Amino acid sequence: MPPTVDPQMLVVSGGGLLAGLGLLARGLRGYRRAGQIADTAPSRIASIAVGEVLVSGVVESAELTLVSPLQSVDCVFYRSRIDEANGETVGTEFREERAVGFRIRDETGSLRVFPRGARFDIPPVFDERSGALGEEPAGLMMRAGATYAPPADRDAQIAALLTVHAPAGPLPSGGEVDDGWRGFASDHLLDGHYTSAPRRHYREARLEPGDIVTILGLALPFDQLADPAGADGTESADPQLVDPEIAADLASARDAGTLRSPQDAWGNAAIPGFGIGRPVRAPELDEAATEPHLAAAGDAQRFERTFEIAPDALILAASQTVPLVIAGGPPAAAASRQERLFLIGLLGAVLAIGSAMAMAVMVGGGIGGP
Amino acid sequence: MNPLTVAALFAVVLAFLIVAFLALTTYNAIVDLRLRIDKAWSNIDVALKQRFDQLPNLVEAVRDVMSWEKDVLTDVAAARAAYSPSAPIPDQAATSAATTSAVRSLFAVVERYPEVRSAANVLALQEEIERLESMIADRRELYNDQVYRYNTRIAQVPAVLLAGLFGWRARPFFEVPDADRRRPDADLRADPNPQPD
Repeated sequence: MPPTVDPQMLVVSGGGLLAGLGLLARGLRGYRRAGQIADTAPSRIASIAVGEVLVSGVVESAELTLVSPLQSVDCVFYRSRIDEANGETVGTEFREERAVGFRIRDETGSLRVFPRGARFDIPPVFDERSGALGEEPAGLMMRAGATYAPPADRDAQIAALLTVHAPAGPLPSGGEVDDGWRGFASDHLLDGHYTSAPRRHYREARLEPGDIVTILGLALPFDQLADPAGADGTESADPQLVDPEIAADLASARDAGTLRSPQDAWGNAAIPGFGIGRPVRAPELDEAATEPHLAAAGDAQRFERTFEIAPDALILAASQTVPLVIAGGPPAAAASRQERLFLIGLLGAVLAIGSAMAMAVMVGGGIGGP
Repeated sequence: MNPLTVAALFAVVLAFLIVAFLALTTYNAIVDLRLRIDKAWSNIDVALKQRFDQLPNLVEAVRDVMSWEKDVLTDVAAARAAYSPSAPIPDQAATSAATTSAVRSLFAVVERYPEVRSAANVLALQEEIERLESMIADRRELYNDQVYRYNTRIAQVPAVLLAGLFGWRARPFFEVPDADRRRPDADLRADPNPQPD
């Protein structure tokens, strides 16, 4: 008589086998990545040479920063996700990953990083679930405005911190604080019917100015970067790469010699600092126009440095042969995160073997079966 | 075939694949490390060559005014002449340290000649050579760090199991000989306005 197999147990064993193999594959990838980081000596930025390098330092914002979707924090990279469990169904409600160019600074200097094509290994800084009654977790502050923001002015931040602000106005609703419970009660309880609220899982990993980061990538002169505009974000901004018609127009304009330089095309707007009323050099104005004040020497240097990258200045970017890995924390922390994945992967192998054995026992009708 | 036999075979194949992956990854990592060491050394060599090219300009710029400081100038010239890109790394380290020492002595002596010290070309050369010295020091540190990682890796499991098979041996560090660790000989108490003999 053939052995009877419990299909549910078979499915569980099959799931264990697949999960174990998945964990093993992830672990082996982690082993290789840990080796890449641990085997590369970190370079000092001031004496960096062209080629594959590993640098570690502090993140500084460049021209722009991002505003993270879940906590509205200024950052240069975020990976945000909201999963919702509603009864039996689980789905991803929101998922977004974005990065902008930034600078990395160590004790010897700073280097511009173009993050396109980078693999970010950043642990989540916000990992919370909504409560059983639907109340949102503490710290959740959904982004209400634009995705991009100008970089925070450090002096302005210090001034704001040291300023004593007047107390806020009267509280809404006759001086009482709406604690969320009231809103929940009116929605779910006060109508006499309890409806279970969906449970949400919020996760956000991000890289903020001031964070320590380790980057493994290719150092190359800025003028050798194939797509400077597109490389500055996680999506291509160069229309040549996405629209063949625009690429053809640009090629014909280039051939005809009618493609103008930024100075020709943008006029005064191409002068660093012009947009904020402190140009670094005198603009060409109508006679009736009010002459703007030129930026002070220190500011001018800062504006030039922010918006202009010298052609021979070394930058960090991804290439066909050298991937760009951006990992949170110092090199040792980044490597140990990957080594942990490897250990979990070995446990995954044990799980896969155990599951295979269990399946064999079930299918074969026990040890010593047919 | 018995399902248990299949499962046991699966376990053996999986274990073999893991071991093969580790061996292959380790082999590739060691090859990568050796290439990184070669690259780090090449980067030092570039900076050494740049310094080699700059030294005649510096000597030329100060020769007329400091013609009676022959010892210092001769030391710099001798150190430059000893530079050989094909020499073994320990010899190159010794030559580099001797050059650094001679250049420091020269800069110390230049301090005693205000007319030389303030000349624009001397200032520019001094700045450039100091930048190169700093670059050599940083790159030497990077090279030694890379060698340290390689030497450590081939002495550890699992690479040590492959080291004998593939003949991997420890690489030399770029070390400064003890004799070159001394400060430059420059008498800074000497007459600030010496007269030629």
